[in-house]
Amino acid sequence: MGMAGTWTEAEFESIFGEQFARMVRVVRRVLRSDAEAEEICAEAFLKLYRMGPGGIAEGTAGAWLYRVASRSAIDRLRSHKRRGFEEQLDANRGDVADGLESDPLGRLIREERIAEVRFALAGLKVEKAQVLLLRYSGLSYQEIASAMQIKPASVGTMLARAEAEFSLHYQRQQRLSKRAPRLQTAKEG
Amino acid sequence: MKHNEIDTGKLRAYLDGEVKGDGVSALTEHVGMCAECQAQLKVLSSQAASVRAGLDFLPQPATAGVSPSWSAMRLRLEQPAPSAPAGWSPWRTWSLAAGGVVAMAAVLAFTVAPVRGWAENLLSIFRMEHIAVVELNPDAVNALENDQLMSRMISADVTQTEPPQKPQPVADAATASKLAGFKIHLIAGETPALLLFRTPISAQLKLDRDRLQSILDEAGRSDVQIPQSADGAVISMRVPAGIIAVYGNCGDVSERFQGKQPPASATRSKDASCVRLNEVPSPTVTAPQQLDTAEIVRAALQFAGLSASEAANFTQTIDWTSTFVMPILRGQLSYEKVSVGGNDGVLLRPKNMQSGEFTLHWVDNGILYSLMGTGDNTTALNLASQIE
Repeated sequence: MGMAGTWTEAEFESIFGEQFARMVRVVRRVLRSDAEAEEICAEAFLKLYRMGPGGIAEGTAGAWLYRVASRSAIDRLRSHKRRGFEEQLDANRGDVADGLESDPLGRLIREERIAEVRFALAGLKVEKAQVLLLRYSGLSYQEIASAMQIKPASVGTMLARAEAEFSLHYQRQQRLSKRAPRLQTAKEG
Repeated sequence: MKHNEIDTGKLRAYLDGEVKGDGVSALTEHVGMCAECQAQLKVLSSQAASVRAGLDFLPQPATAGVSPSWSAMRLRLEQPAPSAPAGWSPWRTWSLAAGGVVAMAAVLAFTVAPVRGWAENLLSIFRMEHIAVVELNPDAVNALENDQLMSRMISADVTQTEPPQKPQPVADAATASKLAGFKIHLIAGETPALLLFRTPISAQLKLDRDRLQSILDEAGRSDVQIPQSADGAVISMRVPAGIIAVYGNCGDVSERFQGKQPPASATRSKDASCVRLNEVPSPTVTAPQQLDTAEIVRAALQFAGLSASEAANFTQTIDWTSTFVMPILRGQLSYEKVSVGGNDGVLLRPKNMQSGEFTLHWVDNGILYSLMGTGDNTTALNLASQIE
């Protein structure tokens, strides 16, 4: 470790190399573009850098970064929700990579699914959305517990509650979407 | 393992293979015999499958190399931490504007000649109904600040009749409306994370002709002559009680508004979900009726670094008795005029920042609104339109 209060470039680069790409993968799921995901993660790294190694307990940089970046991403997702589902849907246009869906209707359906999932996630309390995002991005219970500053034994309980609530929100959103004329119009058009 | 040792969380962890050590075999054995646990596992498994099906729709980033990202990060690490741009906080803007109004009134006193007496019964009240922005030259303002000219001009002769107090949290909109004395308006469908009440602020400026003249002389502005009759005139400024509504994650906003410094370990910074809404009835300035407001402003603007023609152009287009002038420093903020529900507004953004932060100011029915958040112009205006 470098001088008290500052990171050496080598140690900071090492943390960056270990965590950055994976963090981007996690937060990208709820953000609108790769650039936005990278920006959120870069902001978290900048904060960590400015805090210095003394700002966090030793060996917890990764957990701290996941906590800050996932929270920022979910807060941003929630701020998008304020503008309503239609705008969420519009914002997700173009979020389906070209290779994934070649036909326009398939693309439209997929974009709508993404908007439904994100809208349902945004309706949860931040911690619940966070635990789902982290778990379904592949973090272990231990990693989630460190990132969210909870006991590992509490992860299962929190996850089960979050899943139950998400399922309700998601199903409701899907029902509402079915009533909306968007897809029908698209099929006819 | 006993049944009462097993809860939903443990079963959920079991599903994920996250029960460690000896507990796994004991749990497996119990679940094999327990119909209730099996039923619960089935529900948990079905919910997990539903969530998985949903979240699997979410996109993954195109694989990018870490090297370019690290190179970009290195460049950012070398930059100094940005400080808050001057004039960005609406309270700072407002206090600057209010101070500016008082200073302008004072400057008028220097420039109006002859002033036909300063009888206290000849007063006019300026009530703000519109908003205008004036861009000041940062070098000129810095020079004024460095020489402490502005503060010397107003501070010694200012009496705070209602000094600023720390804003206090209030329970709900009804209480806030009652305390503030006007019906507050909030973003529809959103519950503020924090609602703060701010008490009124008022101050009086008593003109001391000899002192002000000596400061002007020192500043090389002997051309501005303060009439003898201005001596002792009183100009009052009042910012009524208002409210601050905070939405989303604004970090340590409560502590900061209340003047507390949170411990470093507990510091939370705001993020893009942070939205703040300030509401205050329009500030008022009370001054002797003879004041030619255009003259005040023109002189004050020149004093703050605008050329005579720039100041004249600006003053010709504005009714100074009803316009809230927001001074901003050129190069630090960009602004554009917008319409908020049919009312004139201005949208300010810090320059040289990628964060997308905005501050939107407008006046509606005598109430001055400031909305701060992150997003594009449509976002800002949509949020403003949801205030009811």
